[in-house]
Amino acid sequence: MKKEFKVQRSTFNVRSSQLRLKSSKSAAGNFQKGASFYLLFTVYCLLFAALLSCSPKKESIYKKTKVEMDTVVTITVVSDSEEKAAKAIDKAFGEIGRLDLLLNFFSDKSELAMINRSAGAPPVRVSPETLEVIGKALCASEKTGGAFDATIGAESSLWDFFQKKKPDDETIRQRRGLVNYRWITLAKGESAAGLEKKGMLMDLGAIAKGYAADKAVEELKKNGVRAGLVAVAGDIRAFGLKPDGKPWKVGIRNPRQQGKDDEILATIALKDMAISTSGDYERYFLLDGKRYHHILDPKTGYPAEGCRSVTVMAPDAASTDSFSTAAFVLGPQKGIEVLERMGFEGIIVDNSGKVRLTPGLKDRIEFKRND
Amino acid sequence: MSLRETINGTTRADRLLFVLLVLFSLCGLVFIKEVLPQSREVKIEVEGKLAYRYPLDTERVVDITSPSGRLTVEIKDGRVRVTHATCPNKLCEHQGWIRAGAIICLPGRISVLVGGFGGGEDDNVDAVTG
Repeated sequence: MKKEFKVQRSTFNVRSSQLRLKSSKSAAGNFQKGASFYLLFTVYCLLFAALLSCSPKKESIYKKTKVEMDTVVTITVVSDSEEKAAKAIDKAFGEIGRLDLLLNFFSDKSELAMINRSAGAPPVRVSPETLEVIGKALCASEKTGGAFDATIGAESSLWDFFQKKKPDDETIRQRRGLVNYRWITLAKGESAAGLEKKGMLMDLGAIAKGYAADKAVEELKKNGVRAGLVAVAGDIRAFGLKPDGKPWKVGIRNPRQQGKDDEILATIALKDMAISTSGDYERYFLLDGKRYHHILDPKTGYPAEGCRSVTVMAPDAASTDSFSTAAFVLGPQKGIEVLERMGFEGIIVDNSGKVRLTPGLKDRIEFKRND
Repeated sequence: MSLRETINGTTRADRLLFVLLVLFSLCGLVFIKEVLPQSREVKIEVEGKLAYRYPLDTERVVDITSPSGRLTVEIKDGRVRVTHATCPNKLCEHQGWIRAGAIICLPGRISVLVGGFGGGEDDNVDAVTG
């Protein structure tokens, strides 16, 4: 308390001595000096404020989740303005919604439904996007010897995983003759696509979500976003780096999750890459102790055996989506081989719980300990 | 007292005080903008459209209906959960309490979203595949 009092007194002394000094100086000069001080200070403040508002703002992560393509879609972007981020995200969601209208297997109004209705008849005219996805699907079929086959629709439409009903074996056997990707006609010159045999059904469910993630990323980039992540269910495409300069971190779901603590099997850093997982735990039912899941083997029409989950990393999500399904169908050994041949990376959990990795992934993946 | 007299009457100490006060008030502005968190809320979307907004710090239980389903949502202690759903698999019920992120009922097309639009969430992963 004493000290403070002293300081105050000395301030008072300065003031009184200045007051004495002032009388000897010209009043006009003093005013000019004082006024110029306040004026200068105001100008400095304004300049500082202008500098602050012009300099690049701090980047943040903006995230939005919506239901699109009958699944959960989350779009994350890095931006220096909330407004810019919201605009880009809405555009990307719009793009995903637009693609769903073209490629939805369950809607009567989609272009895919139009192709399916005219199976056995000449090809029908479709949009460039539909052509592109079918082209990519055919490519995946050829590279995997038909382990991925978009004409699986004839079989997949028999299964209802919500009602938990297994189709009868005879129907499955009959429909087998309607599954073959070689009977897809793609007339690029006429922008038309078709199915050669009546009763065939094309189901792009194992590639459309990945393709949509790719197109949504294109849309974000077009709108000036430098980094982001689009996750259409488990089909994820990431680009650029986070504001802290680090790559995106993606968790791989544990196919046999027991509780909240063992949800993630491993994590992996992702930059300008896509990742997808196909698992037997997403849509399934148990009947007489047997697990029936949604990943069907095109050759048999029954759920593929051998794997619990397959995760694939590649530059684009249409590839990761389709090749994760294909590798699942091929089984752990052949699955890893096909991924290596394609130059992709992958993690396969086989039906005994053993984890296999492509060689390139060993140093990049971080396994989570759940003990 | 005129402006001229006021300015003439100021000393070096006055000016120092003036500068400090201005700087303090500027600091306050920056502090409010950067440090103070925005109030958190729960947004509930039905068929992709924002239908309800509730503050996360007020306890309540609400019934949300959409043309394709019904959910009961409970908000308590800054957390939110779905206590009842009409859908068959009840994934949203099993998700339990969340403080950030989303609970989504696919059959009912209802999304319960927590947290502001901006700002990284406390999750240690950015997305999950599978």
